[in-house]
Amino acid sequence: MFVDLVVIGLSVGIIYGLVALSISLVYSGLDIVHFAHGEMYMLGAFMGLFFFAKTNMAYPFALIFAVVGVALFGIVIERVFYRRLTSGGGGYTVAGMGIIICGFGMAIFLQNLAYIIWDPMPKPFPVDFGQPLMIGDIFYPRVYMWIVIISVSLMVLLHVFMKYTRFGLAMRAVAKNKDIAFLSGINVPLLISITFGIGCGLAAAGGVLIGPINYVEIYMGYFILIKGFAAAVVGGFGNLPGAVIGGLIVGVAEALGSGYLDGDLKDIYAFVILILVLMIKPSGLFGVETKVKA
Amino acid sequence: MAEPMLKVSDLHAGYGKIQILSGVNLGAEPDRITAVLGGNGTGKSTLLKAISGLIKPWQGTIEFNGERINGMRPDKIVRLGLSQVTQGKEVYPAMSVEENIRVGAYVHTDRRKIADDFERVYAYFPILKQHRKSHAGILSGGQLQMLCIGRGLMARPRMIMLDEPSSALAPQVILDIFHTLDKIRRDGTTILLVEQNVRMGLLLAHFGYVIKDGVVHMQGEADSLMKDDNVRLSYLGGTLASAEGATL
Repeated sequence: MFVDLVVIGLSVGIIYGLVALSISLVYSGLDIVHFAHGEMYMLGAFMGLFFFAKTNMAYPFALIFAVVGVALFGIVIERVFYRRLTSGGGGYTVAGMGIIICGFGMAIFLQNLAYIIWDPMPKPFPVDFGQPLMIGDIFYPRVYMWIVIISVSLMVLLHVFMKYTRFGLAMRAVAKNKDIAFLSGINVPLLISITFGIGCGLAAAGGVLIGPINYVEIYMGYFILIKGFAAAVVGGFGNLPGAVIGGLIVGVAEALGSGYLDGDLKDIYAFVILILVLMIKPSGLFGVETKVKA
Repeated sequence: MAEPMLKVSDLHAGYGKIQILSGVNLGAEPDRITAVLGGNGTGKSTLLKAISGLIKPWQGTIEFNGERINGMRPDKIVRLGLSQVTQGKEVYPAMSVEENIRVGAYVHTDRRKIADDFERVYAYFPILKQHRKSHAGILSGGQLQMLCIGRGLMARPRMIMLDEPSSALAPQVILDIFHTLDKIRRDGTTILLVEQNVRMGLLLAHFGYVIKDGVVHMQGEADSLMKDDNVRLSYLGGTLASAEGATL
């Protein structure tokens, strides 16, 4: 039972890790916590379901289309709404507060938009992944295997992009210091849009991945935002590998908590972990220093 | 007098409501080193930020090779061939030395030429090649300044502007860096140098502007500024050339 729970916890945790990673990525690029990020995840799930169910697309292709669709949508809202506010300074400035409020507003708007389009009934995302695997006496549904494979692939892809490409290097440069990036000839506004788009796309991937093991519903963004945020903070906010590990820790804690303690309190365990970690190491497990971004 | 490569006319700029520059006029001629000198808080850095596009000028014009660049975005100005080299403290400490330099090559995509640019930078600063795989955070102050200059050169600029390359460095290190700067100038890159260290600045430069209270206070060929009584009194801590024995 213990091993089963850990395996399932890790599989779900990697989705939290993916979302945490995307929250951290947006934070590192724009210096803001994007509070409508859960809605990107929700939109991703709905878009994936649309492509899968309505156009009979294979699941992996539905995933790719949803990721690209939400990434483009993210770029549009960044250009139209957030851009005006970030150009006044993000982080702990007064303008930064404006962005946080704008993010909340965007979240409420998108939830209601989804309400109009898809109604509030939870919808199944029926993907047939085939018979569960039996490894020894561990019962392992294949959907979890696919979640892990796809999530890890996306993370590796992101790593390779950030580490070895011209745009990836520019993205890191913009994240760490916008003035130096500007003076090095980097088109900072463009790179911020790309960062935001990738962040939204990764969150959307999380939504498409969780669809088949959960229902797809318009309020699903709320809990994932808080859990992804908790995972990102546990791993050290702004630290990308830390965010993934934070996600795994939250996923395992949740699985073990629901298995041994009480399944109804499933959504609480993430915060128990968050509070414990912050009590012991306020900068998160892998946080280097508490960086004041301006 | 040759046509200036960079020409600043009646430049007004500041932050928020605070005006720092109130009508600066200066020019930098090609293939020379022009120094902008002055004490702390006289507006030297503001001037550089206005030229490089980090802040928008309130009034006046900035021309580079005859093209108006005021109000342009910084990355566009870099693409025109005018790069600002930041102070040595401003690097990406968590990136390797090589990655830091590569950031400067963003405007170019031709791999082979970028490799040549790397070799050129490493030829100017061999110590950077030695440390190319290390994190930039471990470098000394002088090495960080070299790294910033190297990064600035990667864009293949026709002119570079340096913000206090001598700040917080030992005299020997400053001399080394200045020596290399002169080599870079001889290889065909025009230089605008902003310096608080007036003596060092005038040693390296051909022409100098002394800025005070947001306007150009004095200007002239470096050697004549060096001999100027006002400059000697106010910035060089020396005595009046005309009044032997006067003390400060």
